Amino acid sequence: MQLWNRYFLASSVDETLELLLQYDGQARIIAGGTDLLIEMREGHRPPQPVLVDITAIPALTTIEQDNDQIILGACVTHARITHSTALQKRATCLVESCGVVGGPQVRNVGTIGGNVAHALPAGDGTTSLVALDAEAEVVIDGERHWRPILELFQGPGVSLLDSTRDLLVRFRFQAHQPHEGSAFDRIMRPQGVALPILGCAVWVRLNADNSHYEAARICIAPVGPTPRRITAVENMLAGCPATEDTLEAAVALAQEVIKPRTSKYRATAPYRSEMVAVLLRRALPAAVERAKTTMPVTSQ
Amino acid sequence: MTSQDVNIGRNIRRMGAVEKVTGEALYPGDIDLKNQLWMKIRFSDRAHARITAIDTRQAEAHPGVVAVFTAADVPVNEYGLLIPDQPVLCGPGSSKPGADIVRCISDQVAVVVAETEQAAAAAVYLIDITYEDLPVVTDVFAAMADSAPQLHAEVENNIQTHYRIRHGDIEQGWAQADVIVEGEYITGHQEHAYLQPEAGLSYLDDEGRVTVVVAGQWVHEDQEQVAHALGLEHDQVRVIYPNIGGAFGGREDMSVQIVLGLAAKKLQRPVKIIWSREESIIGHHKRHPITIHARWGATRDGKLVAAEAEVFGDAGAYAYTTPKVMGNAHLMVCGPYEIPNAKVDTYGVYTNNVPSGAFRGFGGPQAAFAAECQMNKLAEALGMDPVELRLRNVLRDDSVMVVGTPLPPGVTLDRVLAEGAVESGFWQRSGDRWQRVPPNPAPDSTRRRGTGVAMGFKNIGFSFGYQENSWAEIELHGQAQIERVVVRQAGADVGQGAHTAFQQMAAEAVGVPVEKVEVVSHDTAFTGNSGSASASRMTFMAGNAIRGAAEAALEKWTQEDRPAIGTYTYLAPKTSPFDPETGQATPNFAYGYVAQFVEVEVDVETGQVEVLRVSSAHDVGKAINPRLIEGQVEGGVVQALGYAVMENLVTRDGMILNPYLSTYLIPTVWDIPHEVQSIILEYADPRGPWGARGMAEMPYIPLAPAIASALHDATGVWFDRVPLTPETIVMKLREHGIGVI
Repeated sequence: MQLWNRYFLASSVDETLELLLQYDGQARIIAGGTDLLIEMREGHRPPQPVLVDITAIPALTTIEQDNDQIILGACVTHARITHSTALQKRATCLVESCGVVGGPQVRNVGTIGGNVAHALPAGDGTTSLVALDAEAEVVIDGERHWRPILELFQGPGVSLLDSTRDLLVRFRFQAHQPHEGSAFDRIMRPQGVALPILGCAVWVRLNADNSHYEAARICIAPVGPTPRRITAVENMLAGCPATEDTLEAAVALAQEVIKPRTSKYRATAPYRSEMVAVLLRRALPAAVERAKTTMPVTSQ
Repeated sequence: MTSQDVNIGRNIRRMGAVEKVTGEALYPGDIDLKNQLWMKIRFSDRAHARITAIDTRQAEAHPGVVAVFTAADVPVNEYGLLIPDQPVLCGPGSSKPGADIVRCISDQVAVVVAETEQAAAAAVYLIDITYEDLPVVTDVFAAMADSAPQLHAEVENNIQTHYRIRHGDIEQGWAQADVIVEGEYITGHQEHAYLQPEAGLSYLDDEGRVTVVVAGQWVHEDQEQVAHALGLEHDQVRVIYPNIGGAFGGREDMSVQIVLGLAAKKLQRPVKIIWSREESIIGHHKRHPITIHARWGATRDGKLVAAEAEVFGDAGAYAYTTPKVMGNAHLMVCGPYEIPNAKVDTYGVYTNNVPSGAFRGFGGPQAAFAAECQMNKLAEALGMDPVELRLRNVLRDDSVMVVGTPLPPGVTLDRVLAEGAVESGFWQRSGDRWQRVPPNPAPDSTRRRGTGVAMGFKNIGFSFGYQENSWAEIELHGQAQIERVVVRQAGADVGQGAHTAFQQMAAEAVGVPVEKVEVVSHDTAFTGNSGSASASRMTFMAGNAIRGAAEAALEKWTQEDRPAIGTYTYLAPKTSPFDPETGQATPNFAYGYVAQFVEVEVDVETGQVEVLRVSSAHDVGKAINPRLIEGQVEGGVVQALGYAVMENLVTRDGMILNPYLSTYLIPTVWDIPHEVQSIILEYADPRGPWGARGMAEMPYIPLAPAIASALHDATGVWFDRVPLTPETIVMKLREHGIGVI
């Protein structure tokens, strides 16, 4: 089966944008292809006249830390994120989530930008970027903008970005500071192949003596057509003591506000609801424990 | 020379191993012929419907299309290994009445042949098919009801197969029973998921024969099926297998063979086809989903006195090998135990699901799931160790099976179980007393560990009255000494290494080193009928044939024939089918025996199961090539692990909702046990070549119940259904208040 006619390996953002312009909707960005190629092979997407591979563009493949901000190129692979020591300390949930995406082969070629641009409601990397409150730099209609990550998600598999015209360049988010920590856990089956049943990323900031939550961000997916934060639980946690009772109250509230759907071959709604509780009981305490030991950025 | 140590029992490297690793080995899809055309098949879009019209004009007008064939083009429009109940192509105008009905989505309706694969793929969807929907029945029990739609005119209540066992006096058995356990066991479909999806070519060879190059399990059966449907004599059809990328029973029935031959014959040009994974999953049969009600009774001192079972198998839309598969399930649902009173009814039932058919174990794994879970539950009810309970009841040389006859001589179930239990390290014995060795503690409180046991037996060869046979020819070249040996044996090397075993056995039989032996196989033009690479029969049957041929050739050699050629057809000992009323039979001439011991870890919060260690003990009679046996054990365990805890074919109204390996999940390297120990025992089968028994299916048979047993050890909860997905485990555990904080 022939999936494309021409394949370009772009070397710069400008060249990519020129190709997209030149082919006027007939060229599509490929950033790893671990979803795109499967969709084309399975006939869910027609063969593409032109593919533009952006994974060799140097500016899109760097991980930078600028003081307390982390900037992540869209074409950094899941495997590189998993092995980045800087990210392990400063964006722990992202490292944990990228470490369980697909299998090893998928992690070696699949990219974080591809994961976000594909706009599935349960991308593991996406779930953590949402909990990290990341922003995405995008080129839309030739203009560069920074957009909050959730704005990119318009529906299941529907992105704000048109991959035949627009480009996702990079992400930025705050590195963990003292009293901040994060964690990701997921229910998956099985270990070697993608198909998250439910994923949960948690970021917390504790107060000066680490006794109370100051702020929290939680993303559990998939529980709707697009990833979203569980703001009711986040708001409840703020100001509460970091105790077992608070955790149980958070779990109870989460189960009340989250109404997972049954999917045909992943899991039923009752199982997912049960797993909301299991995941929150695992991820939230893990993030809290990490927050207690995070060092200032300058001391590295 | 004493060649015993040179040829048999030696880990010689499998033939073609390097070529397979480097990619040089050619599989059917790798072969191209000059001037070849490409074929694409239009499968049924409905699970049950009458086709009232097929309009092929648009497809025929598509650029590059050479021909479109439909039911009207097939000379004898039927096939089936045992019963010719499936049309080659479904639609109006067929030579066979009733062939205008599609009964499942595996049915083929039309084929497009074009100059390129793209043209064929584009045109196949331009065929306009008019369906008149018929009621769909996908549940076995619904299909047996009087009101159900009848799938095949002559088959009442869709009951394709019904076997009975009436052994001893069941009422007296219940009267003697101090303890009775009962269960309903449900097993699901399983996809073979071999590495190489179906592919093939067909052309007319130099002698004008319709030649089909394909991967299958029995060249002569493929030849027979192609010849029958095309209305040709056998010798007008030739079947060749290049390398075969796995089979596991999934290549026993026809997939691309007949339509390829049809197109090549009509068009007088080579025609090629390669199925996608989706086409493979939709286009070939699956393991039978089986529901079993079982009720067993034992005395307080652990002696089985009664067993009753009802076994319902979903045959899908066509017979395929259902009568044989359900026959095996029927025989094995009482386990490898001596039970004086038994009553069993086994049914194979047509539905509009994809057909069920041969798959490693052939009904044995489903039956073993019920039988072994029953044994483990009985052990618990009696407060007796499950190994000890089995040792009190296993069939021995002098015991009588529930079909009224003993096993063939050389029964070693007791030794396989006892030696395996000790060697695995999972059990310890003192005298007659047996005890589990407690597993290592789990790393945290949400995970629990347990160990489990199950055992099994499986016949070698088809039998049940069928006269098993296998042909071989040996040709000895040289003058004063034998310099070269050619062994002709058609038996398929489906990846198990059969040809390497043939080489070793031929070398042993002739008395030369293996390097001097050349194997000629996989081509009906050069070989006689050696039977199917199925039912763990290849080493046993081919070995006996090779031995006979070698003896004949050596005789000619001494008579100064050069080359000296010996031909031999081995006929296995006679067997008999089930008596229709009582099930009395001498069903088989040989068996393999297995016992497995497993350690699992389950996360009681999420239901995720990890199988940590598996010890698989086998009596193989004689290990012709121990490393190939280890390969079979490890492969069988992994395949059974997928069946037990992962593989979940989701169907709705006869449609398969997950026909991709991205959604139908099979084990990857991350999912397999941390350790698989092969315990190879060699108690000679008096009828086997050099004492060898078959063993390929045995490592599959008891794994699912062994895992269920270990899960019970870990959690105290019985699981009576496979696959044991995390969800089914969690829901069951929560019923028992486990995993709730």
